[in-house]
Amino acid sequence: MVAPLYTTASGLLFHAGQILIVTVGLPARGKTHISRALERYLRWTGVKTQVVSLGDYRRKTLGGAQKLPPDYFTLGEKSPETVALRQKVSEGCEQIIWDFFDAGGQVVIYDANNGTVERRQNIAERFDKAGIHIVMLESLCDNEEIILSNIRSVKISSPDYRGWNPDQAVADYYRRIKDHEIHYQPVEETTWPFVRVMNVGEKIMTNNIQGYLQSRVVFFLMNLHNKFRTIYFARSGPSLIEHSYKADSDLSPPGWDYADRLRDFVLDRRAKSVKARGMEAEDRRLVIWTSARRRSHHTAWPFLQLKDGPRVKVIEKPQMAEINPGVWDGMTPDQVRKYYPDEWERFVRDPYAYRAPRAESYHDLCIRLEPTLIELEREKEDLLIIGHASVIRCMLAYLIGLPASEIPAIEVARGDLIEVVPTSYGVHSQAYHFWDGPGRSNSGSGKDEHNFYENYAEDTQGKRRPEVDEVA
Amino acid sequence: MDPERGRRVTPGELKLVDTALGNVQLDPHIPRVHTPPAMFGAGGPMLKQFDQSSAASRVGSQAATPPRSVVGIGGKVAKPDYSEAKIVLAMVGLPARGKSYLSNKLMRYLKWLEYDVKVFNVGQLRRSRARQKAQQSGKKEDHTASYFSHANVEATKLRDQLATDSLEMLIQWLREGGNVGIHDATNSTRSRRAKIEERVAQEKGFVTIFLESVCDDPAVIAANVALKVSSGDPDYKDMSREEAKADFLRRIKQYEGVYETITEPHLSYLRIINVGSQVTVCRINGYLQSRIAFYLMNLHLKPRSIFFSRHGESQYNVEGKIGGDSALSERGQKYARALPALITDNIGDAPLTVWTSTLQRTIQTAQHLPYNKLTWKSLDELDAGVCDGMTYEEIEQAYPDDFAHRDEDKFNYRYRGGESYRDVVVRLEPVIMELERQENILIIGHQAILRCLYAYFHNLPQADLPYIKIPLHTVIKLTPKAYGCDEERYTLPIGAVDTHRPKPGSTPQPSQIGGFGREYYGEKA
Repeated sequence: MVAPLYTTASGLLFHAGQILIVTVGLPARGKTHISRALERYLRWTGVKTQVVSLGDYRRKTLGGAQKLPPDYFTLGEKSPETVALRQKVSEGCEQIIWDFFDAGGQVVIYDANNGTVERRQNIAERFDKAGIHIVMLESLCDNEEIILSNIRSVKISSPDYRGWNPDQAVADYYRRIKDHEIHYQPVEETTWPFVRVMNVGEKIMTNNIQGYLQSRVVFFLMNLHNKFRTIYFARSGPSLIEHSYKADSDLSPPGWDYADRLRDFVLDRRAKSVKARGMEAEDRRLVIWTSARRRSHHTAWPFLQLKDGPRVKVIEKPQMAEINPGVWDGMTPDQVRKYYPDEWERFVRDPYAYRAPRAESYHDLCIRLEPTLIELEREKEDLLIIGHASVIRCMLAYLIGLPASEIPAIEVARGDLIEVVPTSYGVHSQAYHFWDGPGRSNSGSGKDEHNFYENYAEDTQGKRRPEVDEVA
Repeated sequence: MDPERGRRVTPGELKLVDTALGNVQLDPHIPRVHTPPAMFGAGGPMLKQFDQSSAASRVGSQAATPPRSVVGIGGKVAKPDYSEAKIVLAMVGLPARGKSYLSNKLMRYLKWLEYDVKVFNVGQLRRSRARQKAQQSGKKEDHTASYFSHANVEATKLRDQLATDSLEMLIQWLREGGNVGIHDATNSTRSRRAKIEERVAQEKGFVTIFLESVCDDPAVIAANVALKVSSGDPDYKDMSREEAKADFLRRIKQYEGVYETITEPHLSYLRIINVGSQVTVCRINGYLQSRIAFYLMNLHLKPRSIFFSRHGESQYNVEGKIGGDSALSERGQKYARALPALITDNIGDAPLTVWTSTLQRTIQTAQHLPYNKLTWKSLDELDAGVCDGMTYEEIEQAYPDDFAHRDEDKFNYRYRGGESYRDVVVRLEPVIMELERQENILIIGHQAILRCLYAYFHNLPQADLPYIKIPLHTVIKLTPKAYGCDEERYTLPIGAVDTHRPKPGSTPQPSQIGGFGREYYGEKA
């Protein structure tokens, strides 16, 4: 869904120019949750994005709420000192935004309340003058439960309330946002394009959203939810010819063994983690995604033979095929070095963006996977993705929020089950080791040097490997 | 338990796979301009050898039905399971607000993605019933504006009945396997919408979405009214243009009197104001639903044209090979040089963007065009996998049975290690979305890619899609209109090979294009 990788003189993508997304909303309405999720998504698509949080900046420069004058959070009449202080904070924040744009950044999400028309207009006009597109992103919440759980889980754990009794902290926080509520002016002006999100995705209203990047943002917000679910990743079992894309070979005998072990382990692991949440695994459906490659689809085969146990649905997704090695298919690194010395050098220099002849780069792969990621956001059931190392790498990078350049170096060992649980500020991930066999070396890296294009990470000794629990 | 199960691969088997690669002698003295041979291409003996030697080690687990075997050059792939999608999409809006336009557009998009979609138009039902009645009894019902007055108790009852019947037909159709039924009627009052919602809720797993089209741009409404009056609507058969127009405007008035925009907070709905300028999305849940919303968000009504051209004739075309990444032939280059004049003559000063694939034959074809250019990886030609770089004759020789299979069901046939037409459709979906958003676009593409895109714009069935004729050195100009696309073709007098392979055993049929006028009676009875 994302436009292809092409370079523009400015380094900006999609001909979308620079965009300032101004969040609008009372405290504890999920602005930060939405901002962070959006930042993760846009960064993953290659757009240089930054959340600038007024709250974080204020805490960093001035310290916790206790160090502030008492009238800092009350609206209305303020002492000159407080006005000066607030002015300083907001100017400091805006400087960060300008700096980011000046350094070639494309999207800034300004995470602050911006609860008055005057303030919004003020910000918007200044950035608009510099040719930066403005989008207001309003987060409204009329569900008291969402607000309360947001305050409990996020706000009172902030440095502002270190050492407080939780109930007192909640009460204090309510007092603090009360004034905001009185003075809050919802976005009704249609001067600027806006998106209004109700109860984190329940209802969405958009006005005058223009351009590809902006409508993508809306589509993404439409698919966002914050319900509990778990996502599992595992590689497909070893196949007869690991290093050929074209041969599309079937699982080898150890591969079939791997598939059986994977099924048993996933069901066991999932039952445990679901139980830990006080739910029954049988009540929840397990959805399995595989690619259309035989080795991947056949690894899911044992799940289809389950007579009892949880309901399982297997979906084959052609977009999830591994990275296409092009003319390098089936070659060893030595052969590539010999026949394609220039290309090899460029590949090693930038394994994310470089596209071997007729091949896909990791960036191409990310673009191809993008619709799948939207579906991943949308999916409310537990999900097992039986994929290929390159595909899992891209998806993990998205979920964990790693920069694109690190994608080729994420280690995904065969025989590990990676469990990912989305939380409000990101995800929690953990790897469990369940299988040893051919295609997984003793070091546990699963390195297969013949299959270097797909398995570049193993060649680079992989960074960022999720913490592994040895189970097998 | 199968004795094979617990067994590890024998060293012999591993070696076999290992040496498969080593067998290919890569001569270090060959200068690197010569591309080394494709390792597992269907042309060489390796793939066959590998399939034969690995047949014994293929353990079918304990599956009730064994998994697909992996030999040869590909196989037919089943359609994805969409049986869970059951959506009633009810239109809301005054007459002449583009409801039918939106429902047709949406139908085309979803059908292209292989959903089963049908529009149930209440106006068509009314007209065909009245016609039936007129034929039987010779009595002609009055369908002028007074029929649509809400003060006309009798007619209101009749119209209610029609809407109900149409909904029942829709529900029945969904039960029989449809995915998205579009209820194309005004549904302009709360009570009508409540009735729809209540009725659909009785069906398990069915979801209702309302799609309201609001238009307050007088120019757009006037254009829609003019279209309605001038396009031979049988409701106005015996009237003059002026009379018809006046009557239609009176009809709109009748609806305006009772029209209630959607404000019911519990409904799932999309509201589109002046197609493309403002969209409201409320309580939209589910993946397909959000897709629909995203699609509608990207539509616009600005006049524009989309140009398709294949790349100029390539070396591989001349040699009869498929796939590859070869350069243009002499004649192909001639086409590339002639293309700018043809495009500029056609479009004048209007802005245009050129899209190419990442393959050099399209980039070379676009090289002289004085416009902005973008390369899309998603526009690359259908990946023929193991058959890449071979001629059809070579494939037929090496794998005669498989080759015949492909002709049996070309849309669903996936080349081993490559793609099927369906895979290409999935991959092109983002391109379609982008095309809808853009204005004048010229796509320099490939045969299979342009077939898929062309089928979308002309609403052609899947089975015909792989046989659409997209000749070389021809520019196809599509201009989207209210109910389809106008087409013009410009062939440059530069010779080229014909790469079209008709379906063996079938008599060539002229593709059915045209007839995109509005259907007034629905399907022919």
